Amino acid sequence: MTALARTWDHLTLPGKALFILIPLLALLTTGLIVVIALFGKQILDILIFNLPIVRFVFAATVLLLLAPPIAFVIIYMEMKIIALMNLRIGPDRVGPWGTLLSTIHGLKVLMKEDFTPTRADPVVFTWAPVVVFATMALSVLVIPFAPGLFAQDFNLALLYFFAIGGLTVVGLLMGGWASFNKYSLLGGLRSAAQIVSYEIPLTLSVVGLVILAGTMSLNHIVQQQGVYVDATGSHGSGWFLDWYVFRQPLAFLIFAIAATAEANRTPFDLTEADSEIVAGFATEYSGMRFGFFFFAEYIGVFIISALTTVLFLGGWNAPFPFPRISWLVDPGSLGIGLLFVVALVPLLGTLLLAAPFYLFRSQTRWWVALIIGFVLFNVVAGGLFGLWAYINFDWVAGLFWFLGKTFTLVFVFVWMRGTLPRVRIDQLMGFAWKWLLPASLLNLFVTALGVLVADALRGGPA
Amino acid sequence: MTTPTPTASEHRSTDDPRITLDEGVGVFEPIPPYPPRTEREAEFYTLGDGEMFINMGPQHPSTHGVLRVVLKLDGEKVVDLDPVLGYLHRGVEKLCENADYHQTISQVDPLEYISSLFCEWAPVTAYEKLLDVEVPRRAEYIRVLSGELNRISSHALFMGWFALDLGGLTPILWSFIERDEIVEMLAALTGQRMLFNYFRIGGVNGDLNHEFLSRLGDWMSRAVGQVEANTKLLNENEIFVRRASGLGVVDQETAIRLCMTGANLRATGIPFDLRRTHPYSIYPELEFDIPTRSEGDSLARYLLRMEEVKQSLRIIDQCLDKMPDGPIMAKLPRLLRPRPGRAWAAVEGPRGVYGAYAISDGTDQPFRLKIHDPSFIHLQAVGALLPGNLLADTMAIMASLDPVMGGVDK
Amino acid sequence: MDRAFKRRLEGRFAERLTGPVRQRHDETEIRIAAADVTDTLRTLHDDPAFGFEFLSDLAGVDTGTYMQVVYHLWSDTTSDWLRVIADGLSREDPRVPSVTFLWKGAEWMEREAYDMFGITFEGNRDLRRIYMPPDYTSFPLRKDFYLADDSARSPGAGVRHMERVHDPRNSTPGNTLRRARA
Repeated sequence: MTALARTWDHLTLPGKALFILIPLLALLTTGLIVVIALFGKQILDILIFNLPIVRFVFAATVLLLLAPPIAFVIIYMEMKIIALMNLRIGPDRVGPWGTLLSTIHGLKVLMKEDFTPTRADPVVFTWAPVVVFATMALSVLVIPFAPGLFAQDFNLALLYFFAIGGLTVVGLLMGGWASFNKYSLLGGLRSAAQIVSYEIPLTLSVVGLVILAGTMSLNHIVQQQGVYVDATGSHGSGWFLDWYVFRQPLAFLIFAIAATAEANRTPFDLTEADSEIVAGFATEYSGMRFGFFFFAEYIGVFIISALTTVLFLGGWNAPFPFPRISWLVDPGSLGIGLLFVVALVPLLGTLLLAAPFYLFRSQTRWWVALIIGFVLFNVVAGGLFGLWAYINFDWVAGLFWFLGKTFTLVFVFVWMRGTLPRVRIDQLMGFAWKWLLPASLLNLFVTALGVLVADALRGGPA
Repeated sequence: MTTPTPTASEHRSTDDPRITLDEGVGVFEPIPPYPPRTEREAEFYTLGDGEMFINMGPQHPSTHGVLRVVLKLDGEKVVDLDPVLGYLHRGVEKLCENADYHQTISQVDPLEYISSLFCEWAPVTAYEKLLDVEVPRRAEYIRVLSGELNRISSHALFMGWFALDLGGLTPILWSFIERDEIVEMLAALTGQRMLFNYFRIGGVNGDLNHEFLSRLGDWMSRAVGQVEANTKLLNENEIFVRRASGLGVVDQETAIRLCMTGANLRATGIPFDLRRTHPYSIYPELEFDIPTRSEGDSLARYLLRMEEVKQSLRIIDQCLDKMPDGPIMAKLPRLLRPRPGRAWAAVEGPRGVYGAYAISDGTDQPFRLKIHDPSFIHLQAVGALLPGNLLADTMAIMASLDPVMGGVDK
Repeated sequence: MDRAFKRRLEGRFAERLTGPVRQRHDETEIRIAAADVTDTLRTLHDDPAFGFEFLSDLAGVDTGTYMQVVYHLWSDTTSDWLRVIADGLSREDPRVPSVTFLWKGAEWMEREAYDMFGITFEGNRDLRRIYMPPDYTSFPLRKDFYLADDSARSPGAGVRHMERVHDPRNSTPGNTLRRARA
């Protein structure tokens, strides 16, 4: 007992934690194994019976976990791209080319003091960032990333998206009101006015598209923008002229502008105009609560870009029909040869790629050449594997095109931030009500008329 | 003494123990904790229906230094404002009374840290008038050359600030490239990047050197292109133009009544530039125009300053062309004792008229040195221009008038 | 130096001048009594023969025995700066009419002169301290003000400073740690 006590005394804090955790984990694992062994079939039955719920919970968890990395990527993009536009260097210290800086920012935010002002309403103050972050994260649920790679698909997905997206304003208002700060209040009210005003053109601009598509399911909208071949069970793409942006150009323009305002991005970032109202609704926030606002903003940028991609830019469809190659090598057909392939190919590849560096440059040490060869082999193998996956799996190809388009749009958002000044609140509201709303109504009527005329010409209603 | 100083009994000081945090919500209002001293203060600190105070500064991202403005708002509309100064007050005039004539030059330097040379120029000229010194022509040319460089760097910074206050991130960093080149070459000439301490009574501190001239020649070869590239970013920007035009309009009559000078006055159409209207130094020998605009709004002030940059480049070209040989300092004793008298000198700086009123009592220290700084006057004009505009325009109007808080709080 | 301007001034303000019109370099200087400030400046501003529309500076001066308020004016009718000195203000109760009715921009300059010299500008709507704190009780640019005299009455008096007095003997790391733990 004394030995144990002395050991305990000599342990550091992480050591003490591990000292407790490891036996606990071992116990839990054992218990879990026993439970699965005894009741595995019943548990599986229950899970399969409630498959939609299980799928939803799983997807929601995955998306919540994915949200911070997406935000980190976009924050890094913003830091680096704006720095390059400003002729600065930007982040270059943490990680290669500073890529880890946004992650470090996220960790820093976690460690900062979580401060509540004296007269703030503590409950509302605490829940405001949660509401904002949750609405943003919930919006991701309906977005189809790739064929078969989506959390939920139902016929009201678009409506759901706008409804949940509109809830963001509640969180911003809560934060602005509860902070007991006039800058926060002004920021919250500005965001309420702005988001409520821009919801209308945003939603109306899409109605024309919905008329054309005949559905509000985002999956179906995406499928309509490419040639969708279901007979062979595989998805193929058509040309990019099938995208809705060419059938609804005005709607795309309105949607892009209104979406910028919805995401509170420059030139419509009045809610957090730092030269006017300090940081708007987030003035009094610090620590992780501010971090939630921050993440929510960048996830907002992502989902707005993703929705634009889905609605107008063909979603996960490739912009051109690429020839389908059936080149699926079944690893099982190699038999025992697989073992040799797995054992020898990396070794031989590394040596092969290292050889030129060692042979043709006398200064290179053999181990340096080996490291170079190993890295190169990984790059080549990764590339080949990616190519193989792209060709053979629809979802890989879809994800590639979807993320490519989405992050191009994110880049456009960042580009605008680097270039444009901020509009004034009266100009902002005037633009929404005097220009965007009439334009979206016009687009709606023209589309409806076009559909009617086309149906009449074709003979009989749709 | 019967001056209307409120006595201690009717004052409630800020460290009065009777004022506690529990006194109510009023503690959080920017209302001063003592009875109003003037009718204007009483009127300002009385809220009308639906109005509220908002305290902008001294810790605000865009107050151009340490300025505090109490705004009275009706929604987002500014009804009235009360700038509260003094956060940067250093008592430079008092310090100058206790320093000898040479030392005062380094005292007045940090007043206007964006364009320090003009802060030196006015008192130095006033002292030269007191001493009846003839400044060598080469020194005058060097003064004009370095002064115009400083004017360009100040205007470059103005462009960036103005855009930043309108929400544009990029222009300030672009303009800092230009400013940094100028500041580096002035550092080669004067030894300092910001507070140059370069002008001396009767001349300048050092002659032109090789590094300065090579940097200058290098920069001059691409200056016009650089200036145009920078301004193109804003001049053709629809959002910027729409926000700045018609903002903070001031007409000629009001501008004169507000004692405005410099580009802010010329933006209303009055060609008042001391370099032409009251020539000093060697400006009569140089060819340049006084650009004016008639709109009198923020955009006009911005465009006018950008136009002035081009004129300054012309002046620099001519200065280098005509630079005479000769001494750079007049012959003066080490210890200056001007005979008793008074002198006023004013120079045209990037922000307006910088003036100095020096009184000598025959000793080696100035009896009184009054510095006139245009930032002080232009910040006051915000009170006349802002009411009726939106909160977002507070900083835009303030930036377009281009005050520097170091000069405002002497 | 504009000699004709001097003659014009003497002809117009002969009865008001309390001293000779002086000229040196590009400056012309007149002295008037404090009571005449309003009329004189109004005439200089409104009369097209003078046309002094620009008030370039307003300064207070403490000569040690009496106070002055100095106005610097600019006009395109003459090549000189005009300096108007309102002379002979008593140090006990310096009072001078405000010129804000002509130049609204003089308001802050008068506030500054009030703050620094205690000169009361009658008619200025907002004559309060501009640089010094509102409960400050003396006037720093007066000649009888010494830098230390006001500290006892300033709001900082009696406030315990947050910094500790720096003593190199006590500033070893061990001492700092011990002090922090105590």
